[in-house]
Amino acid sequence: MKRYPAIKIKDGKKYFYRFNLDQRIQHIILALTVIILVLTGMPLKFSDTSWAPYLYALFGGSKMAPTIHKVTGAIMLILFVYHVIRVVGQILTKQILPLKKEGKMNAGQVTKILIKQPMIPNMKDAKDIIGLMKYLLYFTTVRPDGDEFTWKEKFDYWAPFWGMFVIGLTGLVIWNKVLATQIIPGELINLCLIAHSDEALLAALFLFIWHWYNVHFSTSVFPMGTVFLTGYLPEELMVEEHYEHYVRVMTKEGLEDEILPPHGGHKPFCNKPLPEEPDNPFHTTAAEQPDDTAPQGGISS
Amino acid sequence: MRLKSRFGPFGYIGIFVLLTIYFMPASVLAADVGNCLLCHKYPGLSRVDENGEMRLLFVNEDIFSKSVHGKVKCEGCHVDITKIPHEPAKPVDCLVLCHIIEPTSEQKFTHKSVATSLDDSVHSKKDKDGKEKPFSEDMPTCKDCHDNPMFRPLAFVKKVRPGVAEDALGRCRVCHTQEEFINRFYNHITTRLHKSRSPLNIAESCARCHDDPKLVARHNLSTSAGGSYGQTFHGKAANLLDESVPDCLDCHVPKGKSVHQMYENKDPRATTYKENRGQICNSVDCHPGASTDFANYKVHAEFNMKQNPVIYWFTTFFIILTGGTLLPLMAILFLDLLRRLFPNASFRRRKEK
Repeated sequence: MKRYPAIKIKDGKKYFYRFNLDQRIQHIILALTVIILVLTGMPLKFSDTSWAPYLYALFGGSKMAPTIHKVTGAIMLILFVYHVIRVVGQILTKQILPLKKEGKMNAGQVTKILIKQPMIPNMKDAKDIIGLMKYLLYFTTVRPDGDEFTWKEKFDYWAPFWGMFVIGLTGLVIWNKVLATQIIPGELINLCLIAHSDEALLAALFLFIWHWYNVHFSTSVFPMGTVFLTGYLPEELMVEEHYEHYVRVMTKEGLEDEILPPHGGHKPFCNKPLPEEPDNPFHTTAAEQPDDTAPQGGISS
Repeated sequence: MRLKSRFGPFGYIGIFVLLTIYFMPASVLAADVGNCLLCHKYPGLSRVDENGEMRLLFVNEDIFSKSVHGKVKCEGCHVDITKIPHEPAKPVDCLVLCHIIEPTSEQKFTHKSVATSLDDSVHSKKDKDGKEKPFSEDMPTCKDCHDNPMFRPLAFVKKVRPGVAEDALGRCRVCHTQEEFINRFYNHITTRLHKSRSPLNIAESCARCHDDPKLVARHNLSTSAGGSYGQTFHGKAANLLDESVPDCLDCHVPKGKSVHQMYENKDPRATTYKENRGQICNSVDCHPGASTDFANYKVHAEFNMKQNPVIYWFTTFFIILTGGTLLPLMAILFLDLLRRLFPNASFRRRKEK
């Protein structure tokens, strides 16, 4: 048996494989460094508030906290470089080089490969956003069926990606200001400070409100999502967020008969089952008939 | 320090106290020559002056005797008082010839040399041609910055931190027997060996004028200096009570000069003169190796379109980016929470029914 099967069954519940060990370790390092950086950085940004001196003192005050901030920042930057090298390396060795061996490499093919990368936004994401808006504004009761990675996850990937680039680069300049001003004018240090601290505030608010809501605090997941630790997502969340991908995986694993109906709207808080609406006219996915033993071929294509 | 406040209940108490002590028997407590503490030792002693402002007239003997001027007799500075009870006293002129003998020259001591330096500096009341500056009354005089404070003495035996070092005093006592003399000389020397005020304290005292919007406007200053200093890492660390960071004086007072010898930017003697700037930053203790480009960092930059359009628009970009990212996401989050309360509600379905 494979070490990481696509579907793991534990206590009769299905769990779907999403993140490998390398990705999970990267994510935990990123999460820890972000938290430490925010805790050691925000007291400086808000140095005139009443809580700032206490929080700063917790990290050793102005003698120690800057060192902690710099070391943690360095770890995060190394992680960033590692991540980029790894992603680019994998695309090169697994997708582009084999293409070259086959002699089919041209600009068009390479662009196609790049566009097809899982984290690249596509038309499906645009459609899902519009679908979600319709759902949130009560124009429909059906949530869009997400693919393997939804637009939220792509956003959660690219926002810190851009953030790490901006904050990391400006942080390096501020750290090595004497060296940097051998090349760049001193006025740029002002801009680096603004970019560093404003972007950091944006990142912190984004992660601690938006990201944490989606992965921990929303009523579907509360009190804590575990996929970042185990790498496996429970079936009900898979159905709720990644239905298209869910159906594909289930079909591939030969579990067509056990495919659950699409999520539809949110379940009420009191676990009351959703009213059966087999002929909802707005429900156009292939799995609209949950009792159907074999899902239509259209799903997996 | 002068206590400025409107005439309040304390004014009446003051009058009451005055009347009370007027009929009191002569005190035996005061050791001062002019017997000024006979009245001034009472904590409530105060009076409402001609401008309707309450003046606190109490002298805390304990604090005063430990202050820099503790050895000076009251009449040494308040020269206009010759009899008791006295008329309302005039403000003290710090340039008066003291009754103290300066030990190196054996002449009477005076602060006149300080006034000469100050008159030559950016804080002078007169411009280069000796003409009165506009709003010269805003320029600081001695008492605007110096409040006869309790300087924090330096414990310089082993531990360099504020506080009196008993070890050091013990060494003085070997030869000098007079306790009061020992204390005074200890303070006299140690307060000149280190910063006797914290960076935050210095910044606040400069900010009393330099952050006053009226004063900043009418003297055409480009910045609220204290406020913009607070935006730099220096100011932030000062806010967090770090004592090792540079304050206003570290950068604005020329090396080897005193605080009274600050000059305006255009003056080649000024530390902030364009060609001199690099030399403030690259001091061995601060940023050794710093270039002139480094010193061009805008310490007093403000989020202000007039003062610095580049910084203004750059900051505005980030404000828009933050709002533009977070507001829609927060809206989705809020709607999502709300949607979970009404999972089956829909406009369209209702219409069709």
